[in-house]
Amino acid sequence: MDFADDPAEAEFRAGLRAWLRDHLAEHRDGTGYESAAAVERTLRWHRALAAAGYAGLSLPAAYGGRGLPDAYEAILNEELAAAGAPPSPPIGHIAHAVADFAGEELKARVLPGLLDCTEVWCQGFSEPGAGSDLAGLSTTATFDDGRFVVNGQKIWTSGAMWSGWCLLLARTEPDRPRHRGLSMLVVDMRSPGVDRREIVLASGSREFAEVFFDGVTVPAANLIGERGQGWQIAMHMLSYERGPADMGWVGRLGRVLATACDDVRSGRVAADAGLRRRLAEATVEVQVMQWHVARSLANRTTDTTGSAGSVDKLLATRVEQNLYRVVSDLAGPSFVLGAPGPFSDYLWSRAQSIYGGTQQIQRQIVAQRVLGLPLA
Amino acid sequence: MVIELTAEQRAFRESCGKLAAVLAAQWNRGRGPHDIAPPVPDKASWSRVVDTGWLAIGLREENGGAGAGVVDLTVLAEQLGHHTVAAPVLGIILAAEQLQAWGAPSGLLQDIAEGGIRLAPALDANLRGLACAAVGALAWDAAGAEAAVIPASGVAHSLGDPLPFADPTRAVRPLGAPSAGIPAFAPTAPDGDAAARLDAFALSLLTADLLGTMQAALDAAIEHARTRAQFGAPIGSFQAVQQLLADSHVLVEAGRSASYYSAWAVDALPGREALRAARVAKAFVSRSAVEVCESAIQVFGGIGMTWEAPAHIWLRRAHAGRLVLGDEHHHQSFIADDDFSRS
Ligand SMILES: Cc1cc2nc3c(=O)[nH]c(=O)nc-3n(C[C@H](O)[C@H](O)[C@H](O)COP(=O)(O)OP(=O)(O)OC[C@H]3O[C@@H](n4cnc5c(N)ncnc54)[C@H](O)[C@@H]3O)c2cc1C
Repeated sequence: MDFADDPAEAEFRAGLRAWLRDHLAEHRDGTGYESAAAVERTLRWHRALAAAGYAGLSLPAAYGGRGLPDAYEAILNEELAAAGAPPSPPIGHIAHAVADFAGEELKARVLPGLLDCTEVWCQGFSEPGAGSDLAGLSTTATFDDGRFVVNGQKIWTSGAMWSGWCLLLARTEPDRPRHRGLSMLVVDMRSPGVDRREIVLASGSREFAEVFFDGVTVPAANLIGERGQGWQIAMHMLSYERGPADMGWVGRLGRVLATACDDVRSGRVAADAGLRRRLAEATVEVQVMQWHVARSLANRTTDTTGSAGSVDKLLATRVEQNLYRVVSDLAGPSFVLGAPGPFSDYLWSRAQSIYGGTQQIQRQIVAQRVLGLPLA
Repeated sequence: MVIELTAEQRAFRESCGKLAAVLAAQWNRGRGPHDIAPPVPDKASWSRVVDTGWLAIGLREENGGAGAGVVDLTVLAEQLGHHTVAAPVLGIILAAEQLQAWGAPSGLLQDIAEGGIRLAPALDANLRGLACAAVGALAWDAAGAEAAVIPASGVAHSLGDPLPFADPTRAVRPLGAPSAGIPAFAPTAPDGDAAARLDAFALSLLTADLLGTMQAALDAAIEHARTRAQFGAPIGSFQAVQQLLADSHVLVEAGRSASYYSAWAVDALPGREALRAARVAKAFVSRSAVEVCESAIQVFGGIGMTWEAPAHIWLRRAHAGRLVLGDEHHHQSFIADDDFSRS
């Protein structure tokens, strides 16, 4: 048992700290998705991190990653939080789907752009008729004359408005049982027939879209893995999306907590005994989540259930939603009166139990796949 | 970063689990509070405990111990909690560690390690901390103990009859007059770092004991959910039951991460940091253990409310372990002072 850094980890941490000390000021305006300007700032931050070698840490070096053990993702998250820096780019899940299943040619073609954050990707899974019941999706990719032709509609696609690429889950084998008839394609969002329409989030954040595919041509070489393997790849990807470090959540929550504690300590925000108690409880939970994430990352390679991501996601959801309740109450009337920031942040915390598979679906995954409870 | 038990620690866990199960099997909770057995093991089982070296593993070698790390000790504590062992093992380990930190003579520590003297730790009357004075102090996990030592005075005190206590697996007894049998010693107070480490040590062991209890409650609830059928189907196939158990599993796994960190920190970090980690872990696991044990009773249904089923024993142990050495509110108030009180 050793939660401390080994020499290589310590060296990495020191280098990262030094880099943050020198470069964080250039990103003082923070990141976000509420406007085109905010998105620009976010991308600039992602690219700066990537250029310095701090994106795609656990991905193969041959394709622009660092080839480091998963535990380094925990170090990155901890240090970003400690420095009050914006979260790391949320690309780990997509990058792992490509890196772990695509052929050499495809990996060499698309991974470097994804990992250096010059190319932005989105994830086209959900459809109007297929949310929790993802395997019921109906977008088709028909193989014809050496290429796929895609028709259908995706929805709730984060980042679609400014993405160059889409990791698309579509039905290629309509005659096979539904889970086996899906394939994973890399789709160029600039192709003719792709039409995106913005959807504004309840918080006002503009990071969502619905995407229509009308006879979009996708080269056969853009198939990840094999035809019919799409479900397996999607589940693999989701297990990364649910692991809080790959998505930068741990860092973000650490930062929110530190700001709240600062505000109370300095007296900027008045906290009565009840609020102090709840803030201390949130502090305990965030700390435990950080230890837990470090433990699950340190053991990720040896973990065989593949469902640990769901445990982490449920924990992170509980911790995040409690934290935001406290932070919202600390804000007092300015939670609802004046600039909308606190309310928007709170609203965003409510999405945690919906995206990447809802809280109810995560619990069922844990109950059935981890605890071995019988299916209904 | 290596965040798992070593192969030897896993083997140790297994051997601890076996003896813990034996001890658990020989304790009889009877048909109700009226005929419950006291939490004192019979002679034969107790000599197995002594021979296995459980009482001595944490002490330094010059004091008759094996110098094991705190992670090893929490492996043992978790098994004691898992089997709700009603033998005062943790109490003796805590008392011995405390005496060692206060410079008790090696002969006394060796006697404890060899099972010659049974001591219990003394807690304040509110159960929240290790006692500094005998007045009002209560010995915890004190079944069969001859005395409790107040390390600050070096004086051993005799113990009165057990007080009513919600957790029947551990006896709480009031301290009485100085005990004639155990000579007083001249204590040397541990310095600040060592004192913080001692508190972190005690909290980490209790946290691991709670973790074991909540894991046992969850395991049993899962087993029950697989086998008990209603509406022609195992109750574990119903979503409402699945969701309750999944949430419990999340708490157990997070609690395990916290327990590991807290145990590791006692040996690896400065006392102050170790104590903070131990407070965080104890706060989290105290709250979670109660929640998981309550959910387990819910999954058991009616039988969970009976004396006959073990579910209430887990809940009792969880509540008692939560309050002993401070519940979540107690530790969170220290964390609040550290993190966001105006200086
Ligand atoms: C902020 C955000 C970002 C997102 N980004 C993306 C993205 O980039 N790409 C993408 O593909 N998708 C994305 N999504 C979509 C997300 O994955 C879906 O919203 C989610 O899977 C739920 O599907 P749904 O919205 O259709 O809800 P539904 O599936 O209709 O669920 C509605 C409610 O019913 C419950 N429910 C459904 N089935 C069951 C069941 N079997 N048992 C118990 N309860 C059930 C759910 O838990 C939920 O409470 C995003 C969503 C959000 C909120």
